[in-house]
Amino acid sequence: MPAGLEVLDGGLRTTVQDTGRRGGQALGIPPSGAQDGFALRIANLLVGNPPGGPLVVRADPGAAGLEITLGRLKLRALADHAVALTGADTGATVDGAPAPPAWSSFLLREGQTLACGLARQGARAYLAVHGGIDVPLYRGSRATHVNGGFGGLEGRPLEKGDRLPVGAASAAAVDLAGRRLRPDLVPRYAPPAEVRTVAGPEAHLFTAESVETFHGTLWKLNPKADRTGMRFIGPQLSFRPGRPRYLIEDAGQDPSNIVIDPGAPVGTVQVPSGVEPIVLGVDSPSIGGYARIAVVISTDMGRIGQIRPFEETRFVRVSHEEAVEILAQQEALLADPATIV
Amino acid sequence: MVYDEPVFKTLGDTAINVEFGDESSIPLNFRILALDLALREEAPTGLVETNPQVRTLGLVFDPLTTTCARIVAHVKALIAAQGAVATLPSRRVIIPALYDDPWSRECAEAFGVRNNIEYIAAFNGMTVAQVIETHTGCDYWVTGVGFVPGAFMSYAMEPAKRFGAPLYRTPRTWTHARLLNFGGTTSTIYPIRVPGGGQLFGRTPIEIFDPRELSPAFADGPVLARAGDRHRYESIDREEYDAIRAAVKAGTYEYRVEDGTFDCAGYLDWLVESGEPAEKRDPESTWGPA
Repeated sequence: MPAGLEVLDGGLRTTVQDTGRRGGQALGIPPSGAQDGFALRIANLLVGNPPGGPLVVRADPGAAGLEITLGRLKLRALADHAVALTGADTGATVDGAPAPPAWSSFLLREGQTLACGLARQGARAYLAVHGGIDVPLYRGSRATHVNGGFGGLEGRPLEKGDRLPVGAASAAAVDLAGRRLRPDLVPRYAPPAEVRTVAGPEAHLFTAESVETFHGTLWKLNPKADRTGMRFIGPQLSFRPGRPRYLIEDAGQDPSNIVIDPGAPVGTVQVPSGVEPIVLGVDSPSIGGYARIAVVISTDMGRIGQIRPFEETRFVRVSHEEAVEILAQQEALLADPATIV
Repeated sequence: MVYDEPVFKTLGDTAINVEFGDESSIPLNFRILALDLALREEAPTGLVETNPQVRTLGLVFDPLTTTCARIVAHVKALIAAQGAVATLPSRRVIIPALYDDPWSRECAEAFGVRNNIEYIAAFNGMTVAQVIETHTGCDYWVTGVGFVPGAFMSYAMEPAKRFGAPLYRTPRTWTHARLLNFGGTTSTIYPIRVPGGGQLFGRTPIEIFDPRELSPAFADGPVLARAGDRHRYESIDREEYDAIRAAVKAGTYEYRVEDGTFDCAGYLDWLVESGEPAEKRDPESTWGPA
């Protein structure tokens, strides 16, 4: 029997993801990759895979795993595999019995069925398997971009009957079981979510009161959220008067319309017409035409991906220097052997 | 307006935008594309990628190997060393299109609006035939590529032939792939089936985005357009459309892409002679770069 995993149920939406594709900004190709890169990278570390670099800035995409949106994925192992589940808690089972705790690795034996329930806390679970999901690289990454129809398994979400090839093992599966993330590092996804942001390039076009309102409000995630963008329900924001008239022709009628401009490449918070700020996700457009009040820092794109529909969210302010320090701390943690115990 | 000095804005922890102004203009884009070229030739450590657009150069950098300040200093030095833009590498791409096509009509019907090309004609006081004649009557300068994979922004190079129509107030939830459309005076093509608010007026049988990379036109990647391309549209009939489409699907269509260099300085002189203002100003505006 060849190594691999057979999909018995693709769940609500499951895709193959690594830490993403870089170099696509000038072609309109988004980074894609795991929306919660931290969770996927820890899952990979737990099963002895290369975790890849942080969002966007590193060339190494790491091993590919599965991003399981809101749960319900069901798989059967075609051989003995070391696996790990991280991110959202889906109350997973192995052959009907509770699976080992999340954020730890375990042995999934040939013929065993791993089933995820509906996510109870968090919105996206990640499954890594020792050897990685071995789909072809597309432009340097195995990440699926469903709208573009490329990457991952035929550029689409998983369906019943799919067979996921797994890369060659470099260690015995049994030796990789029973590892876990240092318990104090396990993220908690209880609301309200605190998402750190840096001031956006058009923050100055909003009234000072609206900038305060943006940071002072407990926003609720619009349930239509996906990897392209996440809208937040809350108060209307306003723009300063004095907009140049030529922008009506160059950019559009609405005061939120700006002449097309590159994104961050992810994490910019656009506010079309001052209504429902949109945080652009890992599959987002590489350019935008709406004023951006803030930019979510790269490490917190993971926390954004774990917010459930209608859950409360606060956008906290940090400086660019603090954001860089937070990223450096995250990378130090991922490089520290004591992170996995 | 065009800013006196380019403005540097950090976007979170991994990106910087270099803004040259707040308006859309081809001369501004020349400066951005020239800076982008200079950065490719002399890339600072830690620069991950660049994203040139009409008025802004987007930079992605790795803050763990460099700092924002170092990238900014490097870019400022390149800008200071840069004179007026004389020439830019620029390909010329011929794009065949079936104007007033059934698919654009179908989209308009599905969303309960008037056939868009008739609206574009009425908005500009033209006939549908004049819309087609004007759109095929001059080259379009591609200022940047982006949005969804393969999409691009382009503007008529002859100011007298620049026209367009406002975006839909409420965007469509879907649009057929490969439809030509206007968003204001921006002329573009939807590469794939996407939502969108552009006014639709034609369909090209050729691929703008092809992840299968079937033709040599896609040898460098799945995207046909490049910033700095000159696009020229050619009106075709349904029979020609079907024949080209079949060849594209079979992988036998020869894309009409010609390498070249564009005389930017000569074009800028011609713009001045044509009476085109150097920039747009609104004396009553209180908005500025920051």
